[in-house]
Amino acid sequence: MHFKVRAAAKEDCKEISRMIMELAVYENMADQVKTSHEDLKRDGFSPNPFYECLIAEVPDEHKTKDGHCLAGRSTCGHVSVSGQRQPGYTVVGYALYFYTYSTWKGRSVYMEDLYVMPDFRGKGIGTGLMAKVAQVGVEKQCVRLQLSVLEWNKPSLDFYIAKGAEDLTAKEGWHFLRFHGQTLDTLAKEAPKD
Amino acid sequence: SHEVEGIVSRHRSGEGYQKHSATLKELAEYEKVLDQVKVTQKDLEQDGFIKNPFFHGIVAEVPEQHRTKEGHAKVGYALYFYTYSSWKGRALYMEDLYVMPEFRGKGIGKALMSKVAQLGLAAGCTQLNFAVLDWNKPSLDFYLSQGCFDVTADMGYHCMRCEGAALEQLAQGDT
Repeated sequence: MHFKVRAAAKEDCKEISRMIMELAVYENMADQVKTSHEDLKRDGFSPNPFYECLIAEVPDEHKTKDGHCLAGRSTCGHVSVSGQRQPGYTVVGYALYFYTYSTWKGRSVYMEDLYVMPDFRGKGIGTGLMAKVAQVGVEKQCVRLQLSVLEWNKPSLDFYIAKGAEDLTAKEGWHFLRFHGQTLDTLAKEAPKD
Repeated sequence: SHEVEGIVSRHRSGEGYQKHSATLKELAEYEKVLDQVKVTQKDLEQDGFIKNPFFHGIVAEVPEQHRTKEGHAKVGYALYFYTYSSWKGRALYMEDLYVMPEFRGKGIGKALMSKVAQLGLAAGCTQLNFAVLDWNKPSLDFYLSQGCFDVTADMGYHCMRCEGAALEQLAQGDT
């Protein structure tokens, strides 16, 4: 199937928001989503953005009855990058990422989300999106691409391991910890004065 | 023993990065991975002070009378950067938190972490995230006692990484 990968434009935020919700539903955590498409627009398209995003699109002739594109039979995986919205294309996947820093190794890229709509899986679109994130990172001299995956999500775990990712939690014992809501407020209140 | 006032300040000058590199190596020794430290003082200066920096740092300094015998006044640091949760929006990731061994147990680590939290809230962040090795019991106990939760243990998220040849192959679209 012919598809394109391009940088997201701020006009894509409504579609990105839709797909963020679909990914949360897949992870059984739909009630956790608090970001709106306006938040995404403000945070991703300012001079110092918090994230970058890539969009995967297919031609309109593959539309489903609800307006999204339906998988075709051919499996041509042509990936091109353009910063512009292409007329006649519909969005079917995205990758959201940002730059991080390892004090041991230097610049890294963190892929926060990778999502392809169910009807369009198995056609190389997820691979195309992730490869583009890696390419963008390598161009910026990043030496690592990191992400996280839920341990029960076997299809995703297998996908990433097939691409050469290592499970650092299993291998080295790394755990993510988090302060949020009340615990974050409490911690911040104890900061020394400047 | 003497009382030490941990003064936590925003780190601006490049001069401090020589000492920053020294403490990075101490942290790496503690985590038993010294051979993995590749970042140089020059990388830190470049990547921390460009227009869209890759990271921010704060340091804890003690008054002159409490300097170490080598003359260090900077006795701890925290390095963090802004991240994004597609569900919750702006977030912070604390990459490093370190206090020199002889200055521990005096509230300096807590002060550094609180300052990072305060800076994050001021920037509109709703999460402070970081990672710890599961065998590092002193650190794990410290963090949990401050109120955080273990995302990996409680929600099942695993950290994954591509680097080296795997990253190159991925970027070339060879997989």
